[in-house]
Amino acid sequence: MLGQLAAVQPLVIGLLLAWSSYGKLHGPHVAAKARRTALSDLVGDRYAAPAYRAVGGIELAIAIALLLPPLWLVEALAAVALAAGFVGYVIYARVVVPESSCGCMGSAATPVRWRGIARAGVLLAAALAALTADIGWWSVQPMSIALVVVEAMVFVGLSAELDRYWLMPLRRLRVRLTHPLAGTASYEVPLAATQQQLLRSTAYQSVNPFLRSDIRDHWDEGDWRFVSYTAAYGERPATAVFAVPRLRYEPDEVRVAIVDESSGETLYRPATPLALVD
Amino acid sequence: MAGVNGEVSWFCCGNSWGPCGSAGTGACGTCHSGKFQHAWPNTSDACYSITRPDRCGVTAMSRRTCGFRHSTTNLCNGARVVTSIADCGPQTDLFCGERACCGGTCASNRIIDLTPAAFSAIASLNAGLIPCSVNVG
Amino acid sequence: MTGTIGRRTLLTSAVLGTSATLVGATAMGSLAPETAFAARAQLPEPGQPDPNFAEGRVVSRDGSVVMASGSDGRLHRIQLTGGTSVWKLRPTTVDQVLVGDGLYARGVLMPGGLLAAESVWVNIVNLKVHITAIGKNVLYLDHNGQKVVGHVVPGTSAAVYNGTAAISDLSMLKVGKHAQVIGAWRPDTNEVDLATIYAAA
Repeated sequence: MLGQLAAVQPLVIGLLLAWSSYGKLHGPHVAAKARRTALSDLVGDRYAAPAYRAVGGIELAIAIALLLPPLWLVEALAAVALAAGFVGYVIYARVVVPESSCGCMGSAATPVRWRGIARAGVLLAAALAALTADIGWWSVQPMSIALVVVEAMVFVGLSAELDRYWLMPLRRLRVRLTHPLAGTASYEVPLAATQQQLLRSTAYQSVNPFLRSDIRDHWDEGDWRFVSYTAAYGERPATAVFAVPRLRYEPDEVRVAIVDESSGETLYRPATPLALVD
Repeated sequence: MAGVNGEVSWFCCGNSWGPCGSAGTGACGTCHSGKFQHAWPNTSDACYSITRPDRCGVTAMSRRTCGFRHSTTNLCNGARVVTSIADCGPQTDLFCGERACCGGTCASNRIIDLTPAAFSAIASLNAGLIPCSVNVG
Repeated sequence: MTGTIGRRTLLTSAVLGTSATLVGATAMGSLAPETAFAARAQLPEPGQPDPNFAEGRVVSRDGSVVMASGSDGRLHRIQLTGGTSVWKLRPTTVDQVLVGDGLYARGVLMPGGLLAAESVWVNIVNLKVHITAIGKNVLYLDHNGQKVVGHVVPGTSAAVYNGTAAISDLSMLKVGKHAQVIGAWRPDTNEVDLATIYAAA
């Protein structure tokens, strides 16, 4: 069994490296991608793209060697060296540039997290196991291919950039079945809705130049929601107060007054729209 | 360039606090939340390949580089601000077809992002997203 | 002083027209809005800092004067007054500006370098995100590869779907979709309370 396990490792590693190299060598934005990885700190911005491509080339070479006969120990040694390099690199990236993407498996930019480090560790373990293989993967029992599938699933599970293919659909399904925020619907009108309506009203537009502050206070009374702002009427400090229909969207019915709070005088109030009869 | 109508929002730059703690100084290296600046979706090929306003059918976004001046007018109150390009953005194609209206005037698609200093000069920061008209400043 | 209740009563009756003391309505012609705009402080040159704006972390507070350390290294002295509007997840009072908070302030720069604040937005964030998961009263967000936890605050959090009117119903949010979030950052946990979420339905 252990012999079979060791024998399939070159297949697993080979496929993985081939996929990883594809993302580094192919695509229109390889250079931009390279600069977002920790490589740019390691070798400098100028050399990030060539270094990124070189790693892809090495990966591809090792992948081809591992996948094709004959079985050479040196292939496994090269895979161990590369995997050890990855482990060192993701730990470096985590410590030195924690917000950078690791760039190790191709395209999507995901910052290095514990999953990235675990994935590099699993790859190293697989490469070490491959060292002990004494038969080629092409001569294993058909049953052992199941091991390849399981290992591939482990790699997929540890790859944050692949979440959108399996984890997101699962979460979406869960949310569709029982939406955790289903209870948020209520008859309460959020202040954001009042503010939207206010900003779109002619009342607001007519006094906007007098406003000095953002919303200072708000309160509800009957069908109205009142919103007040600090204002200046000429040189006179004042307060602008708006009455906004609370439960309806009728920006034309918004009313405004500018008030001198110290004297209690209303300094300005436009003619009331016809629709409003108290 | 004729004026382009669209939506304007704001973004932070220059390392400050919270999720803006590592925002950096933008594609031009000069961006700062306290300055009168903006992000423009077509500052370079690399920038355009990310923002892709053409995917929303917006093709009037000319190539403009760092320091170029645009004026942004808030269609809700007429307030206007002139700023210079300091970054690439917003990612227009993520919000294709989104619409904001004021009175009878509506505007679709995100075409510009202002710094907090510039946005707060024409609208409330918590309003977040408003219809605007953008012109060469 | 009659306080908040008295103020609100006065303002309510003024705007609904139930109070009799109307003085200046006809004087409106002499106070054209354009004049009011022109009287405002000059805006700065494009690309330059706005002297009438401040941003940074609150490092100390002495009564109504707040010291904020700007991200460009400048130290701002900000004067809060009874007329200053304060947003911290929702409109609130000036005493809610605390040491450790981050803020944006707009006002008028006084001689001597004190910024008389007219509007202050505390801990406000504007994030373009992916919704990576939804839980009970919480959204898990990805902001440029950075994980952000967003808390639903009943009665305050609202969603705007496709640019329509804001509603409290967040059940149309979908996992894996883009959204824009206006929220209030919590300095102690680095999480965010959700104010408004702009999303496609």
